[in-house]
Amino acid sequence: MQLMNKPINISSALAAATCALLGAPNANAADTDELWKFDTALMYYGEVDRVTAVEAIIGATKDFGDEHIFSGKVTIDGLTGASATGAVAQPVAQTFTRPSGDGNYVTGAGETPLDDTFHDTRVQLTAQWTQPIAENMRASGGVNFSNEYDYMSFAVNGSVAYDLNQKNTTLSLGLSYAFDTIKPEGGIPLAFSSVAIKPYSDDSENEQENENEYEDDFNRTRVDDSDNKNTIDLMLGLTQVINRRMIMQFNYGLSLVDGYTTDPFKILSVVNEQGLTQDLLYENRPDTRTRNSFYWQTKYALDFGVADISYRFATDDWKIDSHTIDSRLRINLSDTSYLQPHFRYYQQGAAEFYRPFLMEGDNVPEFASADYRLGEMTAYTVGLKYGMELDNGDELAFRLEYYQQTPKNAGFNEPGALQDVDLYPSLKAVIAQVSYRF
Amino acid sequence: MRHKVLKISSLLLLVQLAGCASLGVQPWERDLLAKDEMALDAEGVDLALDDHIYFSKEATSGGRAFAGGGCGCN
Amino acid sequence: MSTKSTQHGYTIERKSDHFCGRFFAMGSPCELLIDSIDEQLAHHLTSLAYDESKRIEQKFSRYKADNLLHQINHAAGLEVAIDDETHRLLKFADTCYHLSDGMFDLSSGVLRKAWQFDGSDRVPSADTVNQLLPLIGWSKVKLSTKHIQLPIGMELDLGGIGKEYAVDSVAKQCTQEAAGVSVVVNFGGDIQVTQARVNEQYWHIGIESITDDGAAAKLLKIKSGGLATSGDSRRFLLKNGKRYSHILNPLTGYPIEDAPRSVTVVASHCIQAGLLATLALLQGPAAESFLQSQNVQFWCYR
Repeated sequence: MQLMNKPINISSALAAATCALLGAPNANAADTDELWKFDTALMYYGEVDRVTAVEAIIGATKDFGDEHIFSGKVTIDGLTGASATGAVAQPVAQTFTRPSGDGNYVTGAGETPLDDTFHDTRVQLTAQWTQPIAENMRASGGVNFSNEYDYMSFAVNGSVAYDLNQKNTTLSLGLSYAFDTIKPEGGIPLAFSSVAIKPYSDDSENEQENENEYEDDFNRTRVDDSDNKNTIDLMLGLTQVINRRMIMQFNYGLSLVDGYTTDPFKILSVVNEQGLTQDLLYENRPDTRTRNSFYWQTKYALDFGVADISYRFATDDWKIDSHTIDSRLRINLSDTSYLQPHFRYYQQGAAEFYRPFLMEGDNVPEFASADYRLGEMTAYTVGLKYGMELDNGDELAFRLEYYQQTPKNAGFNEPGALQDVDLYPSLKAVIAQVSYRF
Repeated sequence: MRHKVLKISSLLLLVQLAGCASLGVQPWERDLLAKDEMALDAEGVDLALDDHIYFSKEATSGGRAFAGGGCGCN
Repeated sequence: MSTKSTQHGYTIERKSDHFCGRFFAMGSPCELLIDSIDEQLAHHLTSLAYDESKRIEQKFSRYKADNLLHQINHAAGLEVAIDDETHRLLKFADTCYHLSDGMFDLSSGVLRKAWQFDGSDRVPSADTVNQLLPLIGWSKVKLSTKHIQLPIGMELDLGGIGKEYAVDSVAKQCTQEAAGVSVVVNFGGDIQVTQARVNEQYWHIGIESITDDGAAAKLLKIKSGGLATSGDSRRFLLKNGKRYSHILNPLTGYPIEDAPRSVTVVASHCIQAGLLATLALLQGPAAESFLQSQNVQFWCYR
C-alpha cells in the first residue's frame, strides 16, 4: 500500500490538521480575538573604556482576527561614555575642545583621542499594521519615530506581499521613506574648518580677551543650527519553502540617502612629515549615498533544534563593500528549554574618502573622514543564549555576547611619530540581555 | 566531446530547474515550518537590538529589513 | 450514593467523586464524566454538550433533509455557500484524502447503494459497483473558503469524522467553560479527556469491545488525550465462506481485504485517533505495521 511509503509523517500531519480544525487549544471559537502578546527585553552594551549603553524594548502584537495584525514597539536607550573623535594619537598629550564648544579635555600621550561627552537618551516608537488585501495578498504599513537630544527621525513604510504556489513562495515589495534632522549642540560645523581650541581659564590676565577671540573662532566654524537628510529604501523579497525542513529568503535592497551624512562630532588631524598634529579639521562627507544590499537567509529544522544562517553582501557608491555572515544554532535541551550559540563575522572595506589623517601641505580633498567606522575593518561576535518556557507559557531568555572590532590600515603610510602609536585600536564590547515574552 | 559535456550539463541544469518547480510542501507537511522558532523573524527583539548595535558601529546596515535612517548614533 | 435527575433530554447522576451526564445523540449513547461534585457545573456542561452535539448532528447528518449537508448534496452541480466551520471540517477531510492517497474519501458513501452489510450473502454484481465509481472522487469537488461545488450525482457523507469532531468540539467547550476540571467526553466509544484529573488518577471507562459474539464490556484506563475506534465486526457479508468487511475501497468499490475487524487508537485528539484508526483499516493486512510506524498506542481486533 502507498501509505507505507510515507511512514511517520501521517500522525504528525494529522496532528497539524487537527489543530487547524479545532483551533489552538485555548482559543475561544466564539471570538477570534487573540490577546495582546508582549515581547520585552533589557540589554546592556558595554565597550572597554568607551561607550556604555542600556536599551529597553517593549513590543506588543495583537491579532484582530483574519490576519489583521497590529504591532507596536517602544524602545528607550541611554548612552554614556566616550567615542573616537577621528583625531590620531600622538606621542604627547593633546588638548581638545568638546564638540559643543563648551570645555576642554586632555588625551594622554599615545592614547586614541576619545570625546568623553557622549551622553544621550533616545526614545523610539514604531507602529505597524498588516492585513490581507486580496486572496493571497497582504499589505503592511507603518510609522517610526525616534527622538534624542540632538537627533530626530521620522519614517513611514509600506509593503505588499504576494503568496503563490500554495504559499510556498512569497514575493514582497517594500518602500520606506525616512526624514532625519540633526541639531548638534553648538550647531553644524563648517566642513574642513579648523577646530577652535578654547583657552584655559587660568590664563587670568587676558581671560576675557581670549574668551571673546575663542568665541569668534568657534562661531566662524559654524554654518547652521541644524541639517537634515532624506532616506528612501526599496526592498524586493523572495521567500521560498524548500522542503518540510527548510525555508529560504532572498532580499535585494536599494537605499538612497540625500542630505547631511557628515558626523558633526568627527574631526581629522592634519600632521606634518614627523607625524605631529598641526591642525584639526571638521570632517566632510558626500551629501548622497547609494547603497545596494543582497541578503540570503536559510532556516533548517533539525531533529534537535533549528539552524539559521544568513549572508549579506552590501556595496555602495562610497566604495564600501561589506560581507556579513550571521549564524545561530538552536539546540533544544528539553521540550521547554534551549541553548543557542551565535556567531557573526563582518568585514568591510574603507570608504574612498576615508583618511586616517591629512598631511600638512597637501590639498584638502573634497571629502574626507577619519571615522574608523568608514575604514577597513573586520569584526566578529560570539554569543550564547539560553531560553526556557515557564509553566505559564511565558518565555524567559538570557543572552551573553562578545563583540570585537579590528580596524585595519587600508594602505596609508604612517609618517614619523604615527608609527609609534596605535592608529587602529580594536574595540571590545560585551552584550548582556534578558528577554521575557508573555 | 565538448558537445557531449554541454549536452550533459544542460540536461543537469534542466533537471535542477525541474527540481525547483517542485520546491515547497503540501499544507499538511508544514508541521516543522509552523513552529515558532522556524519563523524567519523568530528572534525579533534580538535582531532589532543587534541591528541597532551594528548600525551604530559599522558602515553597513539593512539587508534583512530596511536600512533606514533612524538614529544619531551613526 | 447516587442522585439522578432528568432534564431537557439528558440525565445527570452523582457518582462517588464525580458526576456523569448522559444523553443520546448521533446514533450513539453519549456520556460526560465530570471530575467535580459541583452539581450546577455538571448540569451546565452536560447541557452544553447536549446542545453542541445536537447542533453538529443537525448540521452535518445525512439523514436530515433540512440541513447544510443536504443542500450540498442536492445542489445539482451548483455552488453552495458554506460557513467557516464547514470549511475547516472539509479542509481536514481534504488533508486526510491527500494523506491517504485517495483512500479516505468523503464521497465514497454512495457505495452503500450497492453494499448492505447486513450479515447476508448479498454481494453486489460488478456492474452495480462499477456504475457507482464515477460518482466517487473527492478531487472532483471544488472547495474554497466560502463555497463548495459537487458534480451532479455526487454526495458527501461526514459519518467518518462527524462524531469524532463533535467529541473534540464538546471537549473544547468544556475546557473553556470549566478550566481545570477534567472531563471525559465519550460518544459511543469515541473519547476525549480534556485534562488529567486533579489527583492524576485514571478514568476507568467501559467501552463496547467488538468481538464475534457481540458486545462485551472492556474496561479502559485513560488519563488524558483522545481515543477512537473504527470498524464494526457486526457489519459484514459472508458469501462462499468469504467474509466481506464493511470497509470499502473508494478506488475499487470493493471491501478492503484482510482488514482488522476493529482498530482502536490513542492520540492527543479524538478526531486524530479516529482518522488513524480508519487509515489503518484501509491498510488491510498492513494495519498493524502502519500503526506501529506511526508511533501510537493501538489495539487491533482481527
